[in-house]
Amino acid sequence: MEGKVVFTVFRHDPSAGARPRYVSYEVPYRSGMTVLDGLLYIKERIDHTLAIRYSCRMGICGSCGVKVNGLPRLACFTQVSELGRSIKVEPLPNHPLVRDLVTDFSTFFAKHKSVKPWLIRKDVEEQENPTGQYLQSDAELERYIQFSYCISCGLCYSACPVVTALPEFPGPQALAWLYRFYVDSRDHGGRERLEILDRATGIWRCHFAGSCSQVCPKGVDPALAIQLLRRALIRG
Amino acid sequence: MLVPVRYSVERWSYTLQRVTGVVVTLYFVLHVIETGNFVGGPTVWYVPSYEFAKAYYEEVKEFLHNPIFDVGLVVIGWMVAFHAINGIRLTLAHFGITLGRPSRVEPESPPKSFSTLQRAIFWSSIALAVFAAVYSLNALMGVFAR
Repeated sequence: MEGKVVFTVFRHDPSAGARPRYVSYEVPYRSGMTVLDGLLYIKERIDHTLAIRYSCRMGICGSCGVKVNGLPRLACFTQVSELGRSIKVEPLPNHPLVRDLVTDFSTFFAKHKSVKPWLIRKDVEEQENPTGQYLQSDAELERYIQFSYCISCGLCYSACPVVTALPEFPGPQALAWLYRFYVDSRDHGGRERLEILDRATGIWRCHFAGSCSQVCPKGVDPALAIQLLRRALIRG
Repeated sequence: MLVPVRYSVERWSYTLQRVTGVVVTLYFVLHVIETGNFVGGPTVWYVPSYEFAKAYYEEVKEFLHNPIFDVGLVVIGWMVAFHAINGIRLTLAHFGITLGRPSRVEPESPPKSFSTLQRAIFWSSIALAVFAAVYSLNALMGVFAR
């Protein structure tokens, strides 16, 4: 693939009062180019006013999530070669817009914090001043390691149709984190954790659309965590 | 968001399950009204005369004798069958049954929640719903009897 690629980018500044619009930019293609490379080319050489957010450029920090051709993706993790010559870039749905492609993650992180994403121990003194290690078997590790790969990029949250319909729903990311600690053999949270989500706008609102697992760039599979969490609640 | 063109079959299942659920619920309301009319509508509470009830019955029967209503019932047949069978799949998933087990992530491997069994039940629900629609088509309109 050679020549130019057309990036059609969503532009809007809510504070300026102007209407949202899509602007097309022609970007020269080079081998190995990612969507983030294309957006940075636009920002550096065509339009300096374009607002984007990124950091590590290698799929670890989770900062550059955008909607690319209709699907939430990490811009740095998406090759232009797999998308064709026309690429539409929009901000992540379900997150309030700040400007252009930048969205506000305040609500997302507040929900994340609400599920207590840390080890809850009865022996607080031992946790604060440990005298040994908390050992685990391979089987105990296998129960949660998949869910600990989450980088909190918010793609699953933006793909979830339940969050769109019910903003109070915690979202796949928070629920997967809760399950990750619930099944950790070192954690003593137990029922205390489950009761956080056993409410009308909690885990029962998940309808297993599976979009969260489809768009996760790390293979975390939040839909699986949510169903297993629900099983734990049903079985008591 | 309503038409999930870029998403997996699980998302299509979600959309279809919601749409069929709403439509079938609305149909049940109309169905109660329809069958109520067959026996004389609200006047049945006052024990109408036989002649009046029979005339009412004939009037409703004539109104419903229409290919549009028959096609509507065929669509309802598809929706009821899909909603019921796909509902069983979702119930199994909600109990953690038919799903894969958590494990270390393999590159390019599909999510464990999109298990082969889950997808097989989904496509079975589509196929059985089509069968129900074809059966309804024959029962209501005698398509295959001609």
